[in-house]
This record gives sequence, C-alpha cells and structure tokens, in this order.
Amino acid sequence: MPSQPEVIETFKRIPWFERLEPRHFDKLAEIATIRHVEAGEQLFREGEKEDNLYIVIEGRIALEIFVPHRGRIRIGTVEPMEVFGWSSVTPNVHQRTASAYVVLNSLLIVFNSEKLRQLCDEDHDLGYVVMRRLANVIASRLLTTRLQLIDMFADPSEQKNV
Amino acid sequence: MSPITDTKTNHAAIHAEKPLHPYWAEIVRITPEAEGIATYWLRFADPGLQARYHFQPGQFNMVYLPGYGEAAISMSSDPEAEDRLVGHTIRFVGNVTQNIRRLKVGDQIGLRGPFGSAWPMQELEGQDIIIACGGIGLPPLRPALYHIIRNREKYGKVILLYGARSPKDLMYPSEYEAWQKADIDVQVTVDRGDETWQGQVGVVPMLFYRFRLDPRQSSVLTCGPEIMIRFVIFEALARRIPSERIYVSLERNMKCGQGSCGHCQIGPYFVCKDGPVFRFDALEKYFNVEEF
Amino acid sequence: MFDSPLTIGSCVSLPKPELDRLMAALREQGYQTVGPRLKDDAIVYETVETLADLPQGYASQQDKASFRLMQTGRRNYFDAIPGAQSWKQFIFPPRITLFSANKDEQWHIREADEPAPRYALIGVRACELAAIEIQDRVFLRSDYRDPIYRQRREGLFILAVNCLYPTGTCFCASMGTGPQVQKGFDLCLTELDDVFLVEIGSDLGRIALSQCSFQPASAFVQQAANDGLARAAQRMGRQLDTSDLPDLLIDNLEARHWDAVGKRCLSCANCTQVCPTCFCWDAVDHINLTGTETSRERVWDSCYNPYYSYQAGGGNTRPSIKSRYRQWLTHKLGSWKEQFGTFGCVGCGRCITWCPVGIDLTEEIPALRKEAQS
Repeated sequence: MPSQPEVIETFKRIPWFERLEPRHFDKLAEIATIRHVEAGEQLFREGEKEDNLYIVIEGRIALEIFVPHRGRIRIGTVEPMEVFGWSSVTPNVHQRTASAYVVLNSLLIVFNSEKLRQLCDEDHDLGYVVMRRLANVIASRLLTTRLQLIDMFADPSEQKNV
Repeated sequence: MSPITDTKTNHAAIHAEKPLHPYWAEIVRITPEAEGIATYWLRFADPGLQARYHFQPGQFNMVYLPGYGEAAISMSSDPEAEDRLVGHTIRFVGNVTQNIRRLKVGDQIGLRGPFGSAWPMQELEGQDIIIACGGIGLPPLRPALYHIIRNREKYGKVILLYGARSPKDLMYPSEYEAWQKADIDVQVTVDRGDETWQGQVGVVPMLFYRFRLDPRQSSVLTCGPEIMIRFVIFEALARRIPSERIYVSLERNMKCGQGSCGHCQIGPYFVCKDGPVFRFDALEKYFNVEEF
Repeated sequence: MFDSPLTIGSCVSLPKPELDRLMAALREQGYQTVGPRLKDDAIVYETVETLADLPQGYASQQDKASFRLMQTGRRNYFDAIPGAQSWKQFIFPPRITLFSANKDEQWHIREADEPAPRYALIGVRACELAAIEIQDRVFLRSDYRDPIYRQRREGLFILAVNCLYPTGTCFCASMGTGPQVQKGFDLCLTELDDVFLVEIGSDLGRIALSQCSFQPASAFVQQAANDGLARAAQRMGRQLDTSDLPDLLIDNLEARHWDAVGKRCLSCANCTQVCPTCFCWDAVDHINLTGTETSRERVWDSCYNPYYSYQAGGGNTRPSIKSRYRQWLTHKLGSWKEQFGTFGCVGCGRCITWCPVGIDLTEEIPALRKEAQS
C-alpha cells in the first residue's frame, strides 16, 4: 500500500489540487492511491464493472473501443495531468464504455469512485468543487472528440459539392 | 509591403516590367514525404538569379507548369541553407499539382516570387514561441523552425505542436528528433492512430494542455486547416495570449500573387500581398464571419 | 484658325462638324478613335470615325433591369447615357495573351511583339473618367504595375463629355464623381445646340484641337453650358447616402438582409461585367496536342463566379450566392476604400440597369442601414 506522503507529494504536482482548500485536499488524499503500471498492461476492459477515476501523472494510457470486423480502435490517449475513467463518478450504468491500455510505463493516481461519491455526498462543498473539475474535464474531452468527428484534415471536395 | 507584418516582397525573381512572366528552374531533387505529397528542390536556370533569390520564412512562389497553370506554394526549405535550393512541399490535389507529379529530376518548371508577408522572426526574438500546426500546415512553418534553430539563443522556450489525420500523414517525421535536440519541445498527435502508433491520439488544439506558459511573453504561429486554426486560436486566447501575438498563415485561391486579380481577398486584405501571414488582431473582424 | 495660342484650361467654341476634323487629326497621329454607336437597340463602344457614327438624337431611358433607347427630338450626339459596355475594355481588355512559350529541348518564353493600340476615347463621361482613375489606383501601384494596363493607359487620349441629361439609374452626384467632368481629360466637351464648348485639359488636347476651326467661347455659350450642367446635377435618377460607408458594410457582415438579397441574386455576374471599375481577372492556360506550345491568357473574372474562391484540396470559401453578393457589395462600397483610398463605385448605375432581377444597390444600402439601426 503506497504511503500517504507519496500521495501528498504526487498531489502537489497537480495545479488543481494545489488550489484546493486544505480540508478538501486532506479528504481526497485519504481515499487516493498511487499505482505504477507497465507498458502493455490492460487496466480495464470495455464492459467491466470497474469503478475507478484515474489521473495520469507520468506516461500514457490509450482508450480503445473494439469494433466488430474492424478491431480495436484507439479513440484517444490520456497524457500527463489528464483524467480518465470519469464516467464512473456519476454512473447510469456501472460499465466501462472503453478499454484502457497502458502505452508507456505510467504513474497514476487512483480514486475509488464509490468512496469519492460518498465524500461528495457528505461534503457538498467538496462535491461542488470536484464536479466542476469533472465538468471541465468532460468539456475538454468533448471538444477533442468533436474535432476528431469533424475530421479537420479531410479534403473538402470529398464531402460535398463545390 | 504588408501593413500587418511589415515585410517587403523581394522581387528578385520577378521582373517589375514583366511581373507575370515565369522564370525557369530545374528540379534538382524530389523527396517523397507522405502519400500524395512530395518536396521539390529547385534551382533557377539563371545562375545570377539563383544567387540573388532570397526568401523569408512564410513566403510563397507561384509555381508554373507550362500548359497547366500555376499553384501558390509556400517555401518549406531553409532560406539560409548552403545549397540555396528552393524547396516546395507540394500536395497533389488539383490539375496543376497532379501534373507536377509527373515531372522528374532534371525537368524544367517555372517560378515567380517570392511573394507575401513572412513570419515575424525579428519581432519574435525574446519570446516563448508556440508553433501550432497540422497536416500540410507544417511546411510553411519549417523555414521558421530552421531560422529559430540557427538563432536559438535569440528565442525563449520553443514548442512545436503538430498533428495530422493519421501517422502516415505526418510531415517530416525524420526531423523531429533533430528538432528536439535543438531544444525545441516537439509534441505530436494524430486524430486517429494505426496498429503501430504508440504516440498521442488527439487533436492539435488540445496540445495546449501539454505545457505551461507565461502569456505575457508567449507568441503563437499557426498554419493548417482553418478549422484547426480557429481552435488553436481559441485555446491561445483562453490562455490569455493577446491576439497581437498570434500569427496565422492563410490560404486562398491565388492567380497573380501580387494583389491584382482579386481572387484571394478577405475583406480589405489580399492574402497574397497583405498575407499569407497575418497578425490575428487584424484578421479578427473577418475571420469568424461564415463564408466571408 | 484662332490666332491666340491655346492654353490648358481655356475654353473654345467648336462648331459641331469640326469634330470630324478633330477625330481625323487624332487618327493621323495613330489613334484608333472609339466611341458610342447604336447597335442592337443599345449603345456600344466601338470604332467611330465621324459624327455620323454617333447616336445623334438618341437618349437612353434606364431603370432596374431596363434599357430603352428613345429619340429626343434634339440633334445632340452625346445625349445617350451609355449601355452595358464601359471604357475599361480598352485599357483592361476582356481577353489578352500574357505570354506564350514553346518547347524544343527546353521551354522558351516568346515575347508579344505587337505594340499596344493607342485609343482615343470619344465621349467619356465624368463617372467613366472617375472609373478610369479608380482603375489606375488598382493597376498602377508602387508594388505592382500592370504592363498591359500601363501601356494602354499611357497611350490613351480622352475626349470627355459633360452629361446634361442623366438617366434613371444615374447617381454620380452622390458619389462625387459627376455629372461635371473636373480633371483627367485631354479635351472636354459640353454639347449645346450648334456648337461644343471645348475645354482644353492637356497639351495633347491642345495640339489635337489646333487642327480645327474654332471660335473663342462667348459668355453666352459658357452660360448655356453651366446652366445645362446645373440642371443635370438636379436631375439624377437616384441618390445614395454614403456618409456612414464603409463602416456600415464592414460592421454588418452578418445582417439578415444579406440572406434576403442573396435569395434574389442569380450570381449571373452581369453587374461585374458592366461595372467600369471591377478588375478581377483569371489566368487561362492553353496547350497544343503535342505539348510544345503554350500560352497564358488573362480574362475577366467575377467574384460571382462559383469557382472564384475554389481551391483544389481546399474547397470553396464562398459557396452560397449570398456570400458572393455580400463580397461584391462590401468590396465595392466598403473594403475598396481601405485598399485603394476611394470607393469602388462611381454611381454610373450600370449594375442597376443590367441586373436581370433588378437588384439596386441604392436600395440595398438603405435596407442594411435600416436593419443596422433597428
């Protein structure tokens, strides 16, 4: 079990944590763990009932979806300081919609989402701060996805008449 | 002279009396870059002209294929390179470029130029520079990169944010390591990966999250699909980089290269002579108007 | 012959038949005299040799999408406000070869060896003269001097004429370009019943006129001319308030009105073809079957051309008619000012007359103004 000092040191590398009120910082530090993963590991798979929120500190994680007849499509990568697994925080269905594959040896902060939800339920101030942060994360991911969807580099003449 | 970046067009390769006549050059080398893209290295047939010809990063030539027409192509080579060959990275998309593709080393091709405004390398000295580009938007910025590398101590932190549709569309991948070694932070992404790609998968504007910067001393140079430029600017402005320090290179249909035929106009600007490099504050009013 | 030396700025009274002698003198000096002619129920600019070639007794009635010739009962030669053609075809020809090249082992450029023709324009109106000066600012700049335009422009003789009978689509007074010719001419005529009042504008004009038989301009003749001009200024067919231009256009690029006019416009490009200041051009390349002979031609183009803003591999930045109409109007009365220091419009009204659906910029600008103010 990684020590609390290691968690606290790691938290300090992330600007958002630094700006938290000390009581919120402490509550989150209590439920967080550090994990080192190796390239090639499968963190979780689509369809699994995995329930963690992750922050990448170092390394790279790939999100992939398996499309029958086409294979595994890598829909995005998660870089240092980015969040993944956020859908578990406010779940409708407790199921992963994409798989997470470790591309480069990585250092991750892991939050158990049930514990995180509990903290937020008990302390609404903390809950608000956490949800706002998650909203930013999702907005950013949505913009990326939209730009991928637009296919920015497509030749305009391929798509419609001039 | 561009009112925006204050760059004089050097008329070495065009005669003031015959501004629409091409000057002959020879294809010295052809470098395949990616599918449907190759770089043509040219030398003027007239040695005097070859010696006089000098371009600045960001400028373009009108490349002429007899019988087919001209295409406006930015120079993608190092203007200070010893061999002084003029390099154009050409994507084969239309009638002119697809027929340039049939030319071989030793063949003759016409040039007029250099035209247009340049990346403001002098104004950028002392700044941290973010070069954010995508796809075929990297070639017009490569001369700026070479200039920075030759004068590295004059610039602060330099970061290249580059992306393409997929790994096989990336331009100049063999040079990234050398650039990294020249103290340029190279961040590369693709919209979609392939079986072997282990790098980032995401979009160029989001590469702004890969680094921290001080907006008070940062400048942005951007070139690529206009939709990408739009979101690069969005991210830059969100980080409080002022629009006077965001420089954009635009493309429009060009026929004369000299502000006469009218085709390349955006509002009052002729992209061929007031651009292609624009300071964004001058462009802001017109840039986001749909179909303007 | 009049004994006193003619001076620039002085006026003489020229009996009308003497104009034939003037045109002959110009031809002797190597000019091709071109002027208004009646053709196909319209006025065109073609070679004229004598007064008999001019549309004597005719005037044109013009309105939206309408051009009619009518007989006035007067014996004047220059009453007819011109038709679709303008003088720009002579200094900025609709088609011309830029260069040709042929290939043996290598390509070689062949220079065009014919000298440019020298035209004497007979009957240039104030708005048209203003249009020529506007095109001078486009084609003769410090950073780009068009060799074809320059050659033809330098060889030009301008015989201007003051308009006494503006027609329904004229609004030169609003644009500050007429009806009176102020400057930029070699000779300028004001037509009265039996004589022309001729003002000398240059040495070329003076020399040409010295071949003719004229009288000093009497006070009566001068007064009659002034009266005619004063009446003409009151008789403009239309007017346009330009006090808030170019900003009105530049600040309202997303007005709903553009959609309304965009639905009416056919993008037929008539307005750009008849406009005396429009300067857009395209380059067309020709090659023979064996690939050994090529030529590059410059041809008139139009921002209404659907492919005007099309780039291979880059799509089209103005695919809709609305966007193209907006480009034309915001350029003509908007960004042109920033580019060249004047408006691009001289108030000649041709675009109103020759638009097949009757789009009238003297109505479009007020419509935009109304939307902007609401």
